[in-house]
Amino acid sequence: MQFQLTDEQRALRDTVRSYLRDRFGPKQVRELYDDDRSDGIPPALWQALGEQGWLAVLVPEQYDGLGLGLLDAAVLAREMGAGTVPGPWLGTVLVAEALRLAGSADQQAAHLPQLAAGEVKGAVALLKPGSSPTPAGAPATARDGRLSGRLDFVEYACSADLLVVASDDGLFLVDPRGAGVTCTAQEALDRTTRLGSVTLDGVPGERLEGSTPELVQDLLDRAAVLVANDLVGIARKALTDTVDYDKTRVQFGRPVGSFQAVKHALADLHVGVSFAEHAATYAAHAADVDAADRQLAASVAKSKAADVCRDATGAMIQYHGGIGYTWEHDAHFSFKRSKRLEPAYGDAAQHRERIAGLVIDAAPVASTG
Amino acid sequence: MDLRHSEQDEQFRAEFRAWLDANLPQEMREPAFWADLTDDEAFEARRSWEAGKARAGFAGIQWPTEYGGRGGTPTMKAIYDEEMALANAPATVNALGLAFLGPTVMALGTEQQKKSIIAPLLNCETIWCQGFSEPGAGSDLAALQMRAEPQGEDYLLNGQKIWTTNAMHGDRIFVLARTSPPDGGKRHAGISMLLVDMHQSGVEARPLKQMTGESEFGEVFFTDATCPNSEVLGGEGNGWATAMLLLSYERGASAIAQYTEYHRQWEQVVAIARELDRDGRPASADPVLRQQLAGALVELECLKYHSWHVLTATAQGKDLGYEASMTKIMWSETFRRVSDAYEAVLGTAFQVPGLSTGRSLRELTALAMWSRSCTIWGGSQQVQRNVVAERVLGLPR
Repeated sequence: MQFQLTDEQRALRDTVRSYLRDRFGPKQVRELYDDDRSDGIPPALWQALGEQGWLAVLVPEQYDGLGLGLLDAAVLAREMGAGTVPGPWLGTVLVAEALRLAGSADQQAAHLPQLAAGEVKGAVALLKPGSSPTPAGAPATARDGRLSGRLDFVEYACSADLLVVASDDGLFLVDPRGAGVTCTAQEALDRTTRLGSVTLDGVPGERLEGSTPELVQDLLDRAAVLVANDLVGIARKALTDTVDYDKTRVQFGRPVGSFQAVKHALADLHVGVSFAEHAATYAAHAADVDAADRQLAASVAKSKAADVCRDATGAMIQYHGGIGYTWEHDAHFSFKRSKRLEPAYGDAAQHRERIAGLVIDAAPVASTG
Repeated sequence: MDLRHSEQDEQFRAEFRAWLDANLPQEMREPAFWADLTDDEAFEARRSWEAGKARAGFAGIQWPTEYGGRGGTPTMKAIYDEEMALANAPATVNALGLAFLGPTVMALGTEQQKKSIIAPLLNCETIWCQGFSEPGAGSDLAALQMRAEPQGEDYLLNGQKIWTTNAMHGDRIFVLARTSPPDGGKRHAGISMLLVDMHQSGVEARPLKQMTGESEFGEVFFTDATCPNSEVLGGEGNGWATAMLLLSYERGASAIAQYTEYHRQWEQVVAIARELDRDGRPASADPVLRQQLAGALVELECLKYHSWHVLTATAQGKDLGYEASMTKIMWSETFRRVSDAYEAVLGTAFQVPGLSTGRSLRELTALAMWSRSCTIWGGSQQVQRNVVAERVLGLPR
């Protein structure tokens, strides 16, 4: 029984963590927040993601990738969350995953090496805003290979080189600069991302032939698991920063962290964040080994991570006092990123409803253990 | 990441499961069997079954063979706990002896104590009680008032212990008592742990009726009771340190047994939700109850993952230290979540002993109430939160 990261995974985590600490810390995040003209993709950061192989984790080795698993990608996602890192990492990874899972050999050969190297930036539109995380939530319709629909809140849509769009006929590759595609930037509260609204008006798309509903569901689950890991990264960092601050902030002649009202809240958060970390880790592993309970695990992870990150980032503001409510303090980076990711690929309630569908409505499923 | 157990550990699982199949009668797995027995009859049935299990070599799984244990690994102990829960086997009658006293005696006891205590504990000839809490010393254990005065070869004990599990069935009790008055501000000084025979005229146990109507705990009164001074564990005046070591043995507990037990409780709640009507459809179709049931399952699954985390660490010989307080919070809160869902699903039917379908609710309702005790005993949730905040997160006292 080894419920822990491997030495290699820990080394990967440490490398990403130290890179971000040294090269892309809170100061750089803040520059992005204060720069109205930025496209939200700091060039040096993006270049490093490509060079370090951090876009290539899930891409098979034959396409210049690292051929690793979702748990390895989850390790990265967690550090991205902790560092409130900007850029289309997730969109690019998910486009590559869609191609890996459902694309033809030609499609894979045409795109995967460039995606792995960061030469091509990806964006995905898999769900209508507010939809439950199932293939039925696809935002586009396909008629004779032509796609139509409005895709809202698509991360980095306007800077993407390649789009993957879910439709009522599965997944399609779309050239975002092709005829019939218009992209309008949407202002985002979380300035570590950029959102766009894409309108497709009978746009020719390239269908990913393997994209059955089961496979689209798998892709949605993988997206949810990566987001869950990002969320637990945010949550742990928010809690750690808050604990550190409350150890030193003095009121009534003593550190505020010595008051039980504060202690108990932070202790409960530690319990919750620990649970969410376990769940986000297991869900990634369950996908990698195709465990019988992988869908349940994905929904457990996403719902728990969303709830806990909401609590932790809210507590970060509260237990910093007034300074936590200011633009100057970093608390709002975490809070706003959490608000973006809590509903992404199904919010906590939607995932609980999915769990009910999986376990309460179906015959009891034996879980592992 | 590899969630498989070793071949040796799985072999142990197969062996123990086969033994349970052959030696745990089906009727003993059913709540109805136990409901028909008196407290005393149920206790004796459990004791005799457990003694047979010990004779078959399935006791003291992690204890050294020289003390009658099986010499197994932490993983085997977790597998044992899991299989016991999966089989719905009767809970041990000697929980406090097995979890706490045995390991402490092995660590600190004299040779004579080891010989006289360990074997009878494992085969349930001696049922052990724990005498820590007093009416004025609950969470604040160091406030204890019980006195043990030296008198010749003995101590003379006077005082009262409370919330004593198995008080009415106990043979011996390990008590914390003051052998000398507090030394100025040092409240922890002058306390000793004494191993006292409960079958003597100076010891009187009285049952306390719990909110479930059962009396699995009680009060123990000591009036000039005696205890030979050879029966001090860990040395006179070292009682506080001995008690802290004793309580630390909870740290290795992985919570897999709790997961297994509460998951079964959850499945039963879901089965009831499918049967009960709410607004013309099954309660299991009610969107709010579905959220609550699924939310409880989320906590359960997280508890299972946490048990793997604990098992991974303990199998590597790591001491999780004060993280044990976190594990306690996790399982007791999860138990509450499942119990809360049960109460919500039943609604008014929570008041009655059974449903019109013939389903008895006695066991589940007792469990739901029992979940209210688990956030109190063994260190209340509030005490555990202090421990997590101060010892794990490092917040100042």
